[in-house]
Amino acid sequence: MIKLHVIQRRKTWWIVSAIALIASIIAMIVSFSQFGSPVRPGLDFVGGTRLQVSVDCSVSGQCEEPINAGDVTPILEAQGLENSSVQIIDDYTITIRTKELRPNQRVELQEAIASEFGQIDTSTLQIDTVGPTVGQELFVAGLLALIVSFFGIVFYLSVRFKLDYAIFAIAALFHDALITAGLFAILGLTLGFEADSLFLVALLTIIGFSVNDTVVIYDRIRETASIETGESINQVVNDAVDQTIGRSINTSITTLLPLVAIFLFGGDTLKYFALALIVGFILGAYSSIFVASTLLAWWRSRTETLKPAMATEAPSDADNLAESTYPDEG
Amino acid sequence: MQKQRSIIALILVLVVLAVVVLFQIRIPLGLDLRGGTQLTIEVQPTEEVRNITPENLSDTKRVLMNRIDGLGVSEPTIQTAGTDKILVQLPGVSDPQQAERVLGGTAQLEFRQQKQGTENEFRSRIEERELTRLAVEELRQEENSDPEAIAQLQAQLDRVNNAIGEFFAPPEISGKNLTTAGFQPNQGGSGWAVTVAFDSEGGSQFASLTKDLAGTGRSIGIFLDDVLISYPIVNAEYAATGIAGGRATISGNFTSESANDLAVQLRGGALPFPVAVVENRTVGATLGRDSINRSIIAGASGLALVFVFMGVYYRLPGLLADMALAIYTLLTLAAYALIGVTLTLPGIAGFILSIGMAVDANVLIFERTREELRSGKTLYRSVESGFYRAFSSILDSNVTTLIACGALFFLGSGLVKGFALTLAIGVAVSMFTALTCSRSLLLLTVLGVPGVRQKPELFCPNIPQSVKS
Repeated sequence: MIKLHVIQRRKTWWIVSAIALIASIIAMIVSFSQFGSPVRPGLDFVGGTRLQVSVDCSVSGQCEEPINAGDVTPILEAQGLENSSVQIIDDYTITIRTKELRPNQRVELQEAIASEFGQIDTSTLQIDTVGPTVGQELFVAGLLALIVSFFGIVFYLSVRFKLDYAIFAIAALFHDALITAGLFAILGLTLGFEADSLFLVALLTIIGFSVNDTVVIYDRIRETASIETGESINQVVNDAVDQTIGRSINTSITTLLPLVAIFLFGGDTLKYFALALIVGFILGAYSSIFVASTLLAWWRSRTETLKPAMATEAPSDADNLAESTYPDEG
Repeated sequence: MQKQRSIIALILVLVVLAVVVLFQIRIPLGLDLRGGTQLTIEVQPTEEVRNITPENLSDTKRVLMNRIDGLGVSEPTIQTAGTDKILVQLPGVSDPQQAERVLGGTAQLEFRQQKQGTENEFRSRIEERELTRLAVEELRQEENSDPEAIAQLQAQLDRVNNAIGEFFAPPEISGKNLTTAGFQPNQGGSGWAVTVAFDSEGGSQFASLTKDLAGTGRSIGIFLDDVLISYPIVNAEYAATGIAGGRATISGNFTSESANDLAVQLRGGALPFPVAVVENRTVGATLGRDSINRSIIAGASGLALVFVFMGVYYRLPGLLADMALAIYTLLTLAAYALIGVTLTLPGIAGFILSIGMAVDANVLIFERTREELRSGKTLYRSVESGFYRAFSSILDSNVTTLIACGALFFLGSGLVKGFALTLAIGVAVSMFTALTCSRSLLLLTVLGVPGVRQKPELFCPNIPQSVKS
């Protein structure tokens, strides 16, 4: 069996997490000073237009020369859209991200592009226009969902576990969500990642999932404590973590496998969404094993001797069905 | 044993039902997958009307519906969203220019006078219009209607409407002079009538209009966005003064429903609200198809990876879990079809993610079973206590996920809702399959297949030999 000795090395893990947290907060502060938001906001939240057009290559005489982003800029300037970003995908697809365009403005832009580069294939057209008020509403709704679910989970945990267990599970949850957001703040500053509605969804899902691993370990700590009476809380936590490490790793792997598939094959829309979930879930496993459990041990060892953690003692049907006592483990 | 058998039988029945459901009900695809335009239209308050009431909103919706009908799109949907927004979905529309132009303008209601000498031709055109309309309706009702044919008929309808417009003189009264419209039962008779009321300016214009037309047999043409919606004639008794006082009733073969329809249309045309397209999400059909293909690849490879992992790592129970997972996939998809989930790209992501979660429960159970085996229990007892002991962890983790899904579903916007719904359904179904399917399959194998009980290594490698019983 793997022996992690999480308690003995807990200072190391705490320092690692603290550094990651501080880095995340700094990244978000920098991001805030630049974009007015902890993570660079996408057009879902601030409004704007994203237009993706492809030149129809089935028309003869078109698509003879790859399009450069530089060729598109003069067209945008002619329309008074200087502060726009242009990206060329696969030589003949132009993606333009600009301020919110009224329908007729957008049509003008489309026509200007068509007259410069050739007829546009409408079957691959993609338009996203979000008005600033709609963006605001999406943002508020997303934030509200984040807060509501956060308190929902806090409430559920407080009912299911003793208060201190719940508090540390929530600390771990904060840890996961903050570092994920921090990482994407850095991606926003460096690679131009923009947070859309799906990013908020990812954060929420991370919050929902992050508790999973913590719950598994806490369940085991509770159980181990009831078997190994007289052991110190440190020993109990060490054992509980070692016993559940296989589960923690495997549940993470089975959840991550489909996400990796989405990341690799799911297309642009879902790429960053999958990445955020991958990062968040890995952090979720890490924080349950190394942070939530060690914090709990530290807290309990300095306050009191161990008591059963569940608010209500869970009746174990398995006991009646199987042997009435468990053989000593380890 | 008997119990496990009946559970397996139940599951088999469910699987068969799921297959039937999946063959019968197609899961509708969202616009991001099938291609199309989604427009959010905001009804904006004016100086006079600062608050948009639900009635204002549904009147506006009614007007927009008429306009959409004019676009000739098959299966459009239109619904109100929030207090001042209307969501319009136009499948298959890749270039939304026309839709935006038509939907973005204010409704134009006009009262016009029929020109002299057009009575006969007018009547035949009206008949032609009715027939064309019926034909379009019929085509739309068909399941796999040909959009091309609809567009053709629609063009024909437009031509007829234009021709009908030619029979009328330029507008004399516009919708802004109409103060209200309603409907009431006919006085002293059966049937219903539509009432209209004008402001003072409109009232005098209406009086002069009706005076000109009274007794001639020619109609007042009521046009909404240049389409004739009603063409009442004026009785001869009003020839002297016209219909004065700014109030009038239109009687005819109205049912309460059709009278209300017309009244709403009249009110709608008179709506003083500007509307604006505040959100536009358009995805070309080819892009949508790409997304479908991509998500099928992503979903299939994700599922395959999980299958292989479970089989290799957990051996026999892993394979049984794979079976449970296949059942899970079927049941979940059938649940989507039954509940009427519209599958969007984030929705598919939610589904794929729920596959991972569905396995989670099995992993918890199997790891527990292994531990029990290592600690020296018999295979049967290990399996049973594996299930019992993993249950509280499974419950806790699924509940927290469901809480997040609930918040997303009730507070999120369209795309977000799709994700929350598919994930939540997936989590719920996965609880069921993990606790019934995996368990019954395992127990049945352990109890029913001879030889398995003597081979706990099928469940867990490297068990101390002395432990075997």
